[in-house]
Amino acid sequence: MKELLKKLPLRKKVLGVDIMSALIQKLYAFLKRDFLEEASYKYSFIASFFGIFLSSATFFFISKLISPNSSSVLDPYGGDYFSFVIIGIAFSGLLAIFQERLPAIIRQAQVTGTLEAILVSRTSIPVILFGSSLYYFLYSIASTVFHLILAVVVFGMQVEKINWLGAVLTFILTALCFLSIGILSACFILVYKKGNPFSWIYGSVSGLLGGVFFPIKILPAWIKWISYILPITYSLEGLRKSIITTSPFSEILPNIIALSVFTVVFFPLSIYLFRMALKKAKKDGTLTHY
Amino acid sequence: MAVVEAGLFGYAKVDRKMKAIEVKNVTKVYPAIKGYKELLFHPFQKKGTTALRGINLEVRSSQCFCLMGPNGAGKTTLIKILSTLVLPDEGKAFIKGHDLEKETDEVKKHIGFALAEERSFYWRLTGLQNLDFFAALNNISLSKRRKKIHEVINLVGLEKAAYRRFNTYSTGMRQMMAIARALLSDPDILFVDEPTRSLDPVAAQNIRTFLREEMVENHGKTVFWATHDLSEAAEFAHTIAIISEGQVRDEGSVRSLTNQGSLSLKEVYERAVKKAAPEKKGFGS
Repeated sequence: MKELLKKLPLRKKVLGVDIMSALIQKLYAFLKRDFLEEASYKYSFIASFFGIFLSSATFFFISKLISPNSSSVLDPYGGDYFSFVIIGIAFSGLLAIFQERLPAIIRQAQVTGTLEAILVSRTSIPVILFGSSLYYFLYSIASTVFHLILAVVVFGMQVEKINWLGAVLTFILTALCFLSIGILSACFILVYKKGNPFSWIYGSVSGLLGGVFFPIKILPAWIKWISYILPITYSLEGLRKSIITTSPFSEILPNIIALSVFTVVFFPLSIYLFRMALKKAKKDGTLTHY
Repeated sequence: MAVVEAGLFGYAKVDRKMKAIEVKNVTKVYPAIKGYKELLFHPFQKKGTTALRGINLEVRSSQCFCLMGPNGAGKTTLIKILSTLVLPDEGKAFIKGHDLEKETDEVKKHIGFALAEERSFYWRLTGLQNLDFFAALNNISLSKRRKKIHEVINLVGLEKAAYRRFNTYSTGMRQMMAIARALLSDPDILFVDEPTRSLDPVAAQNIRTFLREEMVENHGKTVFWATHDLSEAAEFAHTIAIISEGQVRDEGSVRSLTNQGSLSLKEVYERAVKKAAPEKKGFGS
């Protein structure tokens, strides 16, 4: 690891500290902390993977009610409802992880007092936020991959050839976009403690209008426009095109552009607002209030 | 008078005349929590509770400084301001000459805060795992981390409990662990907020002895201790500041405050607190 760190570019010393090396070590420390904590709840750890099996099985049997190619709205996705919905639930889990876990971590740290202990350390706000989500990000990748493996191996989902470039780019942008939404939720929790509106807007509305369980084409026109302002719509569209129908990159590109726009706007905005929220909490002296 | 003294992790220059902490006219007003009626009819009206009123304070290096006052006097607010967790509304504060608000990163290099809240640790991790996490956050490199963690753990006498989960520790051990965490980055100034609260007399005495003898006398650290315990302050402090209703009422060494022993510290304290609130009786609120 030392050799690898030595070769890394941008090795800059600030206040006598090699920032790149310190950054990697801090992120690893967050990852290790969360893994040790989560793994200490052994049954919850195992149950979460069992839950994935149950939800996959449920949608597998529901999909039996919809015969292949019975509905033209499924044609752009290969005509198979099971493949369509499994991508929806596997990747919408990523949104849930960021949108629910990150504010939950901040709230828990606020309630217990670990937030103060972390904030008094020599670690910047973006590193604290990114570090706190890292384990859950990797966990969500693992659970998404587990979802897909189950779907292919146990339930016979057809995957011919994945457009890896499209899938990876869409996934990275989706993660950044959802992380931003999670940070916005955390801002609200930091200042107002409870009643997070982002959870309602992006949780419930994305589930209904983001194309998780059914194609947005079947929505009435008067409500469909909301789907187009939700990042999850472009994420799922891009991922389905990359994984199920193996579309060429040019067909996935509009979704990647839309997600890039969301990320460019939301990510810096969320970091800025978190700094502001933290400043307000420090000013009001409510950092550990709950 | 610069002398070379043994630091916790090596040797450091200690200037006993140098100002470790300087507080200039610091005021802090916490916004009051509004009821539904106020939110509806006066959403922009500002109301607040004043915690600190233009506090001025100087703490010299390598001292045991005791901030003494009744509950709600502003002790915790001042410690939180000095440890960068709360922002002042007015005034300035400096740690080793560095502005708290403008040079926060530099300030953090010099301070350690032993949080009184025992829940500020991860209870399902061992003591060692907890310290490892906080050491990484304090920029202690992987190569030096193990050595430093063992040094601070040995210093606070928790080497045998290091591999046990934090939730198995006694209250005294948790306080010692909080001090160990604060010492990880070898800070010049250590803030402790009522660390002996809810401890038995022996454990409390151990912490006092450790902080005064080990930290201040042997390692040249500055310890800034908040308490409302008179005997503790009398035994521990080189300098005492009595704070009440957000203002410093009296300040000096135990000998000067008690007029060379002609008054008891209790009398001095009562007089200082009464100066702030003549209608109140006894200590605290």
